[in-house]
Amino acid sequence: MDSTLKKAGMNKSFGKSLLYTLPMLLITFMFISGGKPDFSDLSSTLAMLITFFGVNILYFLMHYTGKTDKFRAILFIVFALSLSFTLISNMMEMRNSMSFSQADILECKIPFCHLVIPMMILPAAFTKSIIFPGSIIGGFANIASMVVLWLVATLVLGRGFCSWGCFYGGWDDGFSRFRKKKVIKRISESWRWMPFAVLFMVSITAALALVPTYCDWICPFKAVTEFEQVTNVESATKAGVFLSLFGGLVIVLPILTRRRTQCSFLCPLGAINSVSNTITPFTIKIDKTNCSECMKCVEVCPLFALTSEDIKNGKVSTFCSKCGKCVDACSKHAIHFGIKGVPSGTMKNFSRNLFLFVSFLFIAVFSSGTIINSLQSLFKLIF
Amino acid sequence: MAESFILGLSSGSACLVTCGMVMFPYLMAGSAGVKKIVSDVGVFLLTRLLVYFAIATLIWYFGQKFLSSQVIRTWVSGILYIVFAVMLIWYSLRRNQSKECPAGILASVENARIIPVVLGVVNSLGLCPALLIMLTKSSTEDTLVKSWLAFLSFFAGSSLWFFPLPLAGRIRKKEIIRTVGILATGLAGIIFIIKGLTILIGGIING
Amino acid sequence: MKKIKMIAGITWAFLCLILIIILFPGWNRMTEAVSKLQFMKINPNYTGGEIAQKLIMPACTLDIRKPVFDGLFKERNNGFVQIDWRGELTDILIDTIDYDLDKSPDFIIEIDRTSSETKLSRINSKVKDVSVSTPTSYGWAVRVNLKK
Repeated sequence: MDSTLKKAGMNKSFGKSLLYTLPMLLITFMFISGGKPDFSDLSSTLAMLITFFGVNILYFLMHYTGKTDKFRAILFIVFALSLSFTLISNMMEMRNSMSFSQADILECKIPFCHLVIPMMILPAAFTKSIIFPGSIIGGFANIASMVVLWLVATLVLGRGFCSWGCFYGGWDDGFSRFRKKKVIKRISESWRWMPFAVLFMVSITAALALVPTYCDWICPFKAVTEFEQVTNVESATKAGVFLSLFGGLVIVLPILTRRRTQCSFLCPLGAINSVSNTITPFTIKIDKTNCSECMKCVEVCPLFALTSEDIKNGKVSTFCSKCGKCVDACSKHAIHFGIKGVPSGTMKNFSRNLFLFVSFLFIAVFSSGTIINSLQSLFKLIF
Repeated sequence: MAESFILGLSSGSACLVTCGMVMFPYLMAGSAGVKKIVSDVGVFLLTRLLVYFAIATLIWYFGQKFLSSQVIRTWVSGILYIVFAVMLIWYSLRRNQSKECPAGILASVENARIIPVVLGVVNSLGLCPALLIMLTKSSTEDTLVKSWLAFLSFFAGSSLWFFPLPLAGRIRKKEIIRTVGILATGLAGIIFIIKGLTILIGGIING
Repeated sequence: MKKIKMIAGITWAFLCLILIIILFPGWNRMTEAVSKLQFMKINPNYTGGEIAQKLIMPACTLDIRKPVFDGLFKERNNGFVQIDWRGELTDILIDTIDYDLDKSPDFIIEIDRTSSETKLSRINSKVKDVSVSTPTSYGWAVRVNLKK
């Protein structure tokens, strides 16, 4: 069975793909509707149905076509856009502005996101407290719930969180697909260690100042969520920094390099997730017997996770986010989803199916609430 | 103090590459025991600290004499922070490419006992961009004690890199640590560029 | 050995599958459990510290919080004290504050809520300046910087 599939790729017949999609249909229906679907309101019903069928069609297509990255990216990008749209429209409704005020900080009303986590660790260890003006429990995006979500996702997916969970990654993933050809073709491999340097610096500065310095000064995604009100030189400088980083690392460089440069060169959480790649069972494997060392996978990898040396050694680096782009690009099917302990080149189909189910279930349920909310807001605006 | 500590911590990898790689073979040569290695590293660090205190004192007096006006202080410190920070970034990029050893003076030292002292003096007077940033900072401090504390924090941050030196042979993945350290030096440069810009812009707005 | 590794890997993968399946229905319970951990409280530099004195006045309540000097390892030399006004507030707020409970006034704060102008009159030499003075959802909050 595996050898037949090897020639044709990982695609399945229509019936078989439908069968594989059935569990996803059932579980996502349960989780999205909470087990009690409410069809009383037209716009929320429409939003729910579009989301439900949308995610399951993508999952079906992953099995039917045997391709992963294209369909993953659609959901990933839609998730990122939806989150920004929902957040911004909520803020405009509540405050008439994308900025939060001193009062919001004093009252600890700032929504928490997973990017704060690297900076929390040292201060939490020494001061037994969280250095973020948010709420521990209750309310929107509280700290405890985000920590739980990230922890479980990281244990299960490792750096896969960066391609199957992070609601910011869709931005530079999306921009990296604008052009068909790269303008900047060569970037030194040393730069992929930059997130570790950023992690080092923000951890130390956050611990000493007891301020989440990455969020305060650097995070480019403040451009599409919320940011501190500009009232003085310091806050104006911060705005300049994050706008420049968003423009440079999220828009321009991904377009020119066809890579996810924000995730590869800046994100400190990506550095931690790279380390957690060692504890997740899912991985990408290289079947040396089939590999012709054409380096196509190295060319397409958006996170610099593959180098020519890695291909020669037959081992993918710890930077891999399991997005599936290299797997889809390989004409020899030599690079494939795998499970640790299972020899490379074996159980390819099984490993892919299991990984896809786990990762897609995570992103489908995690993103569905946000997508439904943004669709509802969109319908309200249009109708 | 935190700023100085961070600058020392992030640029310390460059210090280690410069002097640590020279000290390491010296330490490992012959039958040097752990006690001797620890004592040599200790002498090296103590020499650095004493030289830093001397520099902190001199530069603070210089600042009091020539940078007494707030306007001059703002402009000079803002511009110098930016210039030296750019140099720090350039320095870190250069370090990434070559493995120079400016402590070549050691070749002319005959008495092996004073090598840690000579290294300490050479390293602390190296006029690397990080030290130049510290000189700028120190010259604009209100009190001499603050100037000393700034250099002490800088010393503490940069010295942390030297503590594992006696175990250097056993540390794997040195290349990765070195790369991350060099990139962190560049980041420290960016922090001081932003600091310099904030000072200048604040100065312009406040007249 | 190879077979054991394979079985271990596949078992581990299935455990991850179970973990993801129980994550979403179990999210609230896990969140509650995590929120009870020792370090799960917001640092006083953000909350403003515990309320040390609650002065109930005819139209409003004045909360004077404990001074916050919290640092990473030990207390810092510089900190702040937060004062909150809650309830029906007049346009001008003038209050004399004794933050260290030594029965002697430390500073006088004057706030013009219409123009947000805040004036600080120092009595205690440890009082520095005003870092924050802002309207809030409950009334008004001020943070005054202090030296230790």
